[in-house]
Amino acid sequence: MSDPSNQPKGRYLVSWPRMKRLAALFWMFRWNFLIGAVFLVATNVLALQIPSLIGGTIQHLRDAESAGAAANFDLIQGNVLWIVLLAVGAAGARILSRIFVFNGGRQVEYVLRNQIFAHLTRLETAFYERSATGDLVSRTINDVNYVRVLFGLGSLHIVNTAVAYLIILTLMMQVSPKLTLWSLAPYPLFLIVMRLFARALYTRTQRVQAQLSDISSQAQENLSGMSVVKAFAIQPEASAQFREASDAYLDANMSLALVRGAMLPYMGSIGAIGTLIVLGFGGSLVVEAEITLGEFVEFSAYIVRLAWPTMALGWVIALWQRGMAGFDRLCHVLDTEPSVADPPLGRARALELDGPGPRGEIAFEDVSLTYEDGTVALDRVNLTIAAGSTVAIVGRTGAGKSSLVQLVPRLRDPSEGTVRVDGVPIQELTLDTLRGAIGYAPQTPFLFSTTIEENIRFGLLAREASAATRGEQRAGEGLSLEDAVRIAGLTDDIPAFPQGLETMVGERGITLSGGQKQRVTIARALLLDPTILILDDSLASVDTRTERRILDELSRIMRGRTSILVTHRFNALELVDEVIVLEDGRVVERGPHRELIGEGGVYAEMVERQRLEEELNQS
Amino acid sequence: MSDDARQDQQPDAKGDDAAREDKRASFHEEKRLGKVVDRDLVRRLAGYVRPYLWLFIGCLVLLPMASAMTLFQPHLLQLAIDDHLIPKQLDGLGWIVGAFAVTLVLEYGLRFAQFYLMQLAGQQALRDLRCDVFDHLQRLRLSFFHKNPVGRLMTRLTTDIDSLQEALSSGMITIIGDLITLSVIVVILLVKSWQLALVTFAVVPILLGATFLFRSLMRSAYREARVKIARLNANLQEAVTGMGIIQLFAHEERSLREYDTINQEHRDAAIALIRYDAILYAFVEMISSIAIAGLIWYGAGQTVQDVVTLGVLVAFIEYVEKFFVPIRDLSQKYTLFQSAMASSERLFQLLDTDEVIEEAPEALPIEAIGERIEFRDVWFAYNDDNWILRGVSFTIERGQKVALVGHTGAGKTTIISLLTRMYDIQQGEILIDGVDVRRYRLHDLRKLFAVVLQDSFLFTGTIRDNITLRVDSVTDADVEHAAEIVGLGRLLGRYEDSYAHPVKERGNNLSVGERQLVTFTRALAHRPSVLILDEATANVDTETEALIQEATEAMMAEQTSVVIAHRLSTIQKADAIVVLHKGQVAEVGSHQELIERGGLYHTLVKLQYTAP
Repeated sequence: MSDPSNQPKGRYLVSWPRMKRLAALFWMFRWNFLIGAVFLVATNVLALQIPSLIGGTIQHLRDAESAGAAANFDLIQGNVLWIVLLAVGAAGARILSRIFVFNGGRQVEYVLRNQIFAHLTRLETAFYERSATGDLVSRTINDVNYVRVLFGLGSLHIVNTAVAYLIILTLMMQVSPKLTLWSLAPYPLFLIVMRLFARALYTRTQRVQAQLSDISSQAQENLSGMSVVKAFAIQPEASAQFREASDAYLDANMSLALVRGAMLPYMGSIGAIGTLIVLGFGGSLVVEAEITLGEFVEFSAYIVRLAWPTMALGWVIALWQRGMAGFDRLCHVLDTEPSVADPPLGRARALELDGPGPRGEIAFEDVSLTYEDGTVALDRVNLTIAAGSTVAIVGRTGAGKSSLVQLVPRLRDPSEGTVRVDGVPIQELTLDTLRGAIGYAPQTPFLFSTTIEENIRFGLLAREASAATRGEQRAGEGLSLEDAVRIAGLTDDIPAFPQGLETMVGERGITLSGGQKQRVTIARALLLDPTILILDDSLASVDTRTERRILDELSRIMRGRTSILVTHRFNALELVDEVIVLEDGRVVERGPHRELIGEGGVYAEMVERQRLEEELNQS
Repeated sequence: MSDDARQDQQPDAKGDDAAREDKRASFHEEKRLGKVVDRDLVRRLAGYVRPYLWLFIGCLVLLPMASAMTLFQPHLLQLAIDDHLIPKQLDGLGWIVGAFAVTLVLEYGLRFAQFYLMQLAGQQALRDLRCDVFDHLQRLRLSFFHKNPVGRLMTRLTTDIDSLQEALSSGMITIIGDLITLSVIVVILLVKSWQLALVTFAVVPILLGATFLFRSLMRSAYREARVKIARLNANLQEAVTGMGIIQLFAHEERSLREYDTINQEHRDAAIALIRYDAILYAFVEMISSIAIAGLIWYGAGQTVQDVVTLGVLVAFIEYVEKFFVPIRDLSQKYTLFQSAMASSERLFQLLDTDEVIEEAPEALPIEAIGERIEFRDVWFAYNDDNWILRGVSFTIERGQKVALVGHTGAGKTTIISLLTRMYDIQQGEILIDGVDVRRYRLHDLRKLFAVVLQDSFLFTGTIRDNITLRVDSVTDADVEHAAEIVGLGRLLGRYEDSYAHPVKERGNNLSVGERQLVTFTRALAHRPSVLILDEATANVDTETEALIQEATEAMMAEQTSVVIAHRLSTIQKADAIVVLHKGQVAEVGSHQELIERGGLYHTLVKLQYTAP
């Protein structure tokens, strides 16, 4: 659902930063638009000659007829030849003008879409938690489309209209400056009314776009949750709801049509009202013999020809308002500053990864985290995880375990306090450096719709690509694909897939079981050969035996590096160096498994409870 | 899939990366279309217009009226000149100015009404089409959604339908108007001078030839652009949902590059279109000028030979200019038409996808399960001979709690999908009260069951919406009753707004445990005959785990249930355990019986549920 706070109310004038952004896009492809404009003017100049040649020829034939003489056939032939030449020339110019201008529009569209995508990759987790996917996609696809039309068709119309106005007004001035001024007298009033139209167009277009986003979000959710829709047989309800949204979109469109419908004939009538003035005022000028009848007729003809560009002006305004409404919706995304960002250029510090001794010390200093809705997830946490150690973080749902580990790769930044890796505050590291050192398997496994292998190699491929662009040659990786697959406990699953590692996993990994998805995400994290490995509850859907085997393997390959496990199961925790117990966002206990058991605190109680439950299960 | 297999057999033909790229593309890319006949597409589109035919007819009536007003204005001007300006007679000029103003107002009103009616008709037709596509999607089999990324389907519902908008609203009316104007002018030309008319019409074959040539070029370019935009959409959609992973693995640059490639392809497809459009447009303009030039040249010669009079020639040239106005207009609309056809092809192709579960012609209603559900020698494969179930037979008596156990891939999830008839089986029978499930109404059949899946999918809305799924028959009492059994109330106590607490996309703002309890409550509140539970393995803390376990037991105590069980305690409480192994039923019995038998179940329990 579109965030209502993102919809500016009743504002249609565009702010300067927006205009600057728009101008920058124009400037990027200025040659397209400028060369296109030159060809457009050329087209108009050439094409305008043709009617006068035709008119001249007809006049000649007429004169010849009334004079009873034979027509000058050479003159006619010459004219005919000229018409053909002009037509060919105009066609060439017309083709080039359209190609240049419209290509410019497509280039703007292309660049804008890339800009949005690039910006989206910089926005943090919290942004995605409050935005609907369908809405973001709709903005990038539909709204950009309207900006493209603004640049392409919009500039074409602007040039055409300007040229037409210029030519016709010049001709009118030549006949009678006085009458010209009179016929233009109502224009100020027109402009005021036009502003009203423009305002209405803008706000109504925004509503249409918001409704389209709404439809997109709704359909997107429905299609993603199709298994629920089917299992509960709620197709009728889903259809009814979609129809409601479609009706709202229809209403928004019709309220826009009301303005557009009123605007086009209004623009058309401006020309006609000019004729009316010429008729009333110019008529009396003729009667008073200030201008000749011939001049009057000529002038009326010009006024009629003014009708078309005026109408086109209406089009331009409509395109402009629609484009700007779309552009504004894009700017809402583009102007969202990522709160998690790289340190200022040149101030980034390096992470010493290859030095002697264990690496990957993580220190939380007075770290607090409060969510947007006011929930306190972490409350002044002070905690140092020794380099090279393996720790488990346990605690109830909502104790802050995931929040704590999400701070390390900066999926979120703490509201207060500092997180350090090997003594360096992580805000002073570039995100690439920091995240490059971390292997992370999230709570909810997410896979991309490609092969299993490519999913596992996801991080590695990125790393290789960026190393290649920097011209670096990376030393041999510490872990082969086979190793990662084996350690993650996937080896036995692979033969069951129709094409082994080359099997496509479908959207979000839909064709894999929950446990398989989790193990693929573990292999993906492992393959990076990370200094810090974080498994955020990613063994939850894995059975206890496999879990134990994975942990055993991990402790071997993660020697000298840091591993953090968020878990709810305690029976394998004697394998870890230290257990950290969180409660209500605070560290309440920490120490080796056995020690904590001996102390008989919260942890001991939790372990005992689980043991009892398991015993109960097995009795 | 068959394409992929072929590629695997020829590993040398392409490099590894290229082959993988192809495979990826085949998921995102769409199949090329076979030959589609425009007439069929137009006929089907017309079907959507038919309910609003009167609105269209209204437009067609208003259009000439508005034009008449426009034509009337020069006449008034003429009147003013002849009657008042030439005799220098100002009296009565006011009347003419007044009449002129009236025609203006009328024209304004008529054009407005015409535009509005046209939009109303077009937009409504599109709304219907959009809803039809959506409804059709609702009926498609689940496997369809495994093959088609959401982003692509979204493109159908939004971009493709919107590209029909102009064709359906402004396009159709102007095309009809233009055709009428054109035929009137043709008649006038023929009457004036058939010789000159034939000379003029000589260009028509050239125009037709050009449009015919451009038709296939433009159509394939439009198709290309449509395919690319759908791919762009699907890529973007996936990137947005998986952005966290992209960032964690510093994959931004590479993802951007992938997106950029598709974006470029889309731009290039669009640029090809611009070229064709520009050439066609300019060509028609050029031909019209050349035709007039030819007419003058030929006509002047004819007047010399006195075949046609000069007056006729002069009038003729003026008419020929008018002849080309609708032609130019039509060539513009031709581009629009090609675009609309490219979209319609995709839309109707989707509407023609018959991957649906067929309902029997006179399907039986069913409200509740009377006695039992029976699987009788069921064979099932998702594709071809890859049998997932091989002769599975077992029964679920009313009131029984049946647990399905077995390794991953043993066929547990498949059995659940078959119960709710997400797929049809190839051999054997699934019977409810002795009647094959295929003979029941699909909607009724699915209403018998409530399914809790491992992945607790929540929709944007409130917690209440997610429980009722906006089904009216689920009352507040049902919700509260279910919530009480599940123990959701205790969790909701944390939120001031309780059931009205907002749920973000996919339930992102709720914890895993909360999400699971909401889906439990959802299942119970729908008062099913049979509860189906695909037990999610513990990914919650002991306390929530206990809560969920309690909830599970409470739910199962209420009614007939089928559980894919992972917790020993759940299995132990089952009346019957069906042990599956490689698509066959290995053992059936109660926990105690099976343990005593010391078979597969015994090993399974030992392997999975005891710490080493």
